[in-house]
Amino acid sequence: MNGSQMQALMPILMLSLTAIVLMIQASIKRDEKATWIITVVGILLALWGAGYARDFSQPVTILLQVDNWGLFFTALVLLASLVTVVLSQDSFSSEGGSKEEYYLLLVLSALGAVILIQSSHMASLLLGMELMGVALYAMIAFPKKGLLPLEAAVKYLVLSGCASAILLFGFALLYAATGELSYKGIGEKAALAYISNPLLVMAGTAMVTAGIAFKLSLVPFHMWTPDVYQGAPTPVTGFLATVSKGAVFVALARIYMDAELHQYESLILALSVLAAFSMLIGNLLALLQEDIKRLLAYSSIAHFGYLLIVLIALTGSEMASEAVTFYLAAYILTTLGAFTVIARVSREDQQKSQISEFEGLFWRNKIQATALTIAMLSFAGIPLTAGFMAKFFVINVAIQGSHWFLLSALVIGSAIGIYYYLRIIFSMSKTSGNDIGFRDRSGDITALLLTVLILMLGSWPQPFIAFAGGL
Amino acid sequence: MLEIILFYIAATVALVSTILAMTRANAIHALIYLIVSLLAVAVIFYLIGAPFVAALEIVIYAGAIMVLFVFVIMMLNLGAKGDAREKTWMRPSVWVGPALLTIVLFAELLYVISSAEGPVSTGVVGAKQVGLSLFGPYVLAVEIASMLLLAGLVGSFHLGRRYLDRAPSSELGHQQEGE
Repeated sequence: MNGSQMQALMPILMLSLTAIVLMIQASIKRDEKATWIITVVGILLALWGAGYARDFSQPVTILLQVDNWGLFFTALVLLASLVTVVLSQDSFSSEGGSKEEYYLLLVLSALGAVILIQSSHMASLLLGMELMGVALYAMIAFPKKGLLPLEAAVKYLVLSGCASAILLFGFALLYAATGELSYKGIGEKAALAYISNPLLVMAGTAMVTAGIAFKLSLVPFHMWTPDVYQGAPTPVTGFLATVSKGAVFVALARIYMDAELHQYESLILALSVLAAFSMLIGNLLALLQEDIKRLLAYSSIAHFGYLLIVLIALTGSEMASEAVTFYLAAYILTTLGAFTVIARVSREDQQKSQISEFEGLFWRNKIQATALTIAMLSFAGIPLTAGFMAKFFVINVAIQGSHWFLLSALVIGSAIGIYYYLRIIFSMSKTSGNDIGFRDRSGDITALLLTVLILMLGSWPQPFIAFAGGL
Repeated sequence: MLEIILFYIAATVALVSTILAMTRANAIHALIYLIVSLLAVAVIFYLIGAPFVAALEIVIYAGAIMVLFVFVIMMLNLGAKGDAREKTWMRPSVWVGPALLTIVLFAELLYVISSAEGPVSTGVVGAKQVGLSLFGPYVLAVEIASMLLLAGLVGSFHLGRRYLDRAPSSELGHQQEGE
């Protein structure tokens, strides 16, 4: 590796450096405040690194591919990690009261996500995914109170381990058929291998798809999602919903584009079935939820169904890659906004994430109630919010590719979605009599900033669309 | 010809010992069978031309990791109570359904693999080639793996400390450990 390749790896190097500094700091003196500051500075440095690395876009060894598209998502993931760090500061306590290890695990998990985003090879894909996952298991089980976090962590650990094993088996079958492990190499050899060994290629692809669909919690691989969302501490749930799922989707999109998988009819059919079921079942099950974290879990299942449409319609439209960028950015910002408020309202009490707990929030804290309202409207896809523009892109792409079946599933799903998103807003505007206001500066500022970003993406999207088109 | 006979013997041993490892109620017995299974897999690696991986399989999996497992389980001291609980968990109603589905998938996979054409093995891969590729094109993978181990280490340290902190102050932690 030469100097310019090292410069291209700047965000990864900065995150690794942060992890090492945190280790050294913990060995000198355990101090939660200092750990928190080092983490924030480290993530900010990595954000700077993501901008700095733009001038050095290139493949770095056979494992990673640094380009503007990946660096944009790197920045987005780092932003989400930063919000999680801010929220974690006093949202939950751990065994012994201090949580230095938590920040170290968070940095390592973000590092895994960045590697996943920039990977161009099955080995780095798996290592990035595992690094992200292993750190997340411990983050989910971190709080001392209650058995729910532990249950969520065990569920996620066991099921995610199975999914990784299936993914790995899929890689082995694809390697047996093509003799390649890089995305591009598989794409080049796949067409030939498909003629000589059709079953091997299909079985391998099916297993890889299943492994990735588990991480994105697409139906029918969604069983773990509500329990893990509910059991994990709220900032960690936000991290899981944005960083983990976003990074895995970017990796999937990269495989799909680099290996030119859009030419295989059977794969498109499989993805269409996954997308349609995710949109319908995700939205239908969300109707039944009383816990807002479980509700958002099902809603995230539906949203990744919408996103899959863009991937399926990739060749039919020039807008498709912009649509992925826009939708993922809008989804991550909206989810962060929603989880910021939920983390502030429910704190560490597991019971307090019931929808009824949000009654009268408009009288308790106007800023956070408004932020949650905007986030819900954005999820539902109401005009002037980022979610509307994102859904507009998806529908546009689907029409251009004339995927009418998926489009109808999207319309039905969104219509159901409006009901349960509005239900939360109505619940917030009810008065419950004894509404004591609460002030909390860091939560208010974070919620306000995210709301402004969501509204800006929705009402004045041209600069961002131009930017996304140039990636 | 001798290789093929040896392969089938090793594969049979691996399959039988893995099935036995899954069905044993006593955790130590299960682990011993798992070690046998890993040794058989190491023989297969040796036969298809990967002596270095075969050695690693024995040293790391059958040696280090499994011995650690055995130690931990012996320290937990599960005893007859653990066996009985394991037996109640392993009712046929629990495993028949998943087992049938798995057998269907297994048959499909067997068909897929037997229909595949192409070279099975292309010569011997020694320690030198493994080292050259690990510190050549895959050097970043080694670094990422080190971070992965760090994450595992920190995570298990934190979760393990839960019980260390609790044990002296209350009996509850001790009982949980004992069970």
